[in-house]
Amino acid sequence: MQFEKEVEILAPREKVWNFIWDVDRFIACVPGCKEAKTIEAGKLYAATMTEKVGPFRVEFPTTIEVLEREEFTHVKAQASGADNKIGSRMKLSLDVNLREQGDKTVLAFVAGVDILGKLAALGHSIIKRKADQVLDEFARAVKQRLEGDS
Amino acid sequence: MLRRFRLEEPESVKEVSELLGRFGEAARVYAGGTELLLAMKEGLVQYERLINVKNIKGLNEVTLDKDTIRIGALCTHHQLENAPLLHQNLAALVKLEQNVANVRVRQVGTFGGNICFAEPHADPGTLLMALGAQMIAERSTSKREIPAVDFFVDAYETCLEADEVLTEIRVPVPADKSGVAYLKFGYLERPSVGVAVALRVDAGGKSIQDATIAVGCAGPAPKRVPEAEALLKGGSVDEAKANLSKAGEIAGGASQAISDLHGSQEYKEHIVGVLLKRAFGSALSQC
Repeated sequence: MQFEKEVEILAPREKVWNFIWDVDRFIACVPGCKEAKTIEAGKLYAATMTEKVGPFRVEFPTTIEVLEREEFTHVKAQASGADNKIGSRMKLSLDVNLREQGDKTVLAFVAGVDILGKLAALGHSIIKRKADQVLDEFARAVKQRLEGDS
Repeated sequence: MLRRFRLEEPESVKEVSELLGRFGEAARVYAGGTELLLAMKEGLVQYERLINVKNIKGLNEVTLDKDTIRIGALCTHHQLENAPLLHQNLAALVKLEQNVANVRVRQVGTFGGNICFAEPHADPGTLLMALGAQMIAERSTSKREIPAVDFFVDAYETCLEADEVLTEIRVPVPADKSGVAYLKFGYLERPSVGVAVALRVDAGGKSIQDATIAVGCAGPAPKRVPEAEALLKGGSVDEAKANLSKAGEIAGGASQAISDLHGSQEYKEHIVGVLLKRAFGSALSQC
């Protein structure tokens, strides 16, 4: 499942860039993400992703690896986690690009989300919709947090 | 494998509500179990307690109360397929029930259980919306009526409170000069699009007095589409027919269809339009 999102943020690019690397504040924008910690700054992080669809709950202890990093413009990362209780795995690839547009910064990201295992029994369309909701909520939260800060 | 759980066997709705209130998310109502037990066996959900409601008397009957058909939540699909009262008054519901999943599911799966599990591909919600049904939810000390249109909140989510129990579904007996149809399209036992249309025409059969449209299965929860209904009612039958394509487009957009292995979003939206035209024709022919 591939998702492309863009969010315009009324803040300088440096500020948006620094925000991305401020783990605690950044993670607070990711719905259902908790217990984030830095294992190796700029390279490896860990967090627990939780989500709920009706009575179905998942909890993925996740590691996030930064694969590419180009100062102020681009980050590429991948994350993966497994919920052993329900026998499911989650894989996420994330391509983030920042560009200036007047006094705004456009945060554009492409996310590839794969859910494997029993959770897939819920149906592709339901998982896709949930992932889309999570990414929308994330984009809104980042915008709100950064624009509210200035 | 099914993990261990405790089976509670209350004998009244009041007791069920109290158990739900006491154990919260650790407990779940168990009726036919055709969906719940599968999910539990797969390990997708776990409950410490299942509250078996099958021993509660009086919740598995279909009765006529003046102009309302009262369907007990514990009626199985098989029971509804064969209920004379429904054959006389609600042929569309009988037809829907005859095509729910497979014979094993219909034999033990309950109408109320299907509705409460709110699986996005389930059929009944869509038709119940078009029929203007009311859901009766009870708890220890109170009882309320919830219009079907408000009942389904999202995929696998209803508006029932944690300690509420669905006990009955009330469907108005269709008026004279009216018709109802539910059509679905899908692969094997899993509908990917469902459309229900209810119509009422004037005495001469020339104009559409009322039209109700609901779409389901394509998105997370069934949905009524008032914008499409407005195009079909209040004018002549011919005007309504001329507006069917536009109404189908609106209903397709409102279905919140999601691309998946069963078809793209555009394809499902198109199918909504096709089924809407056919369901309109079928409903009109009954008027």
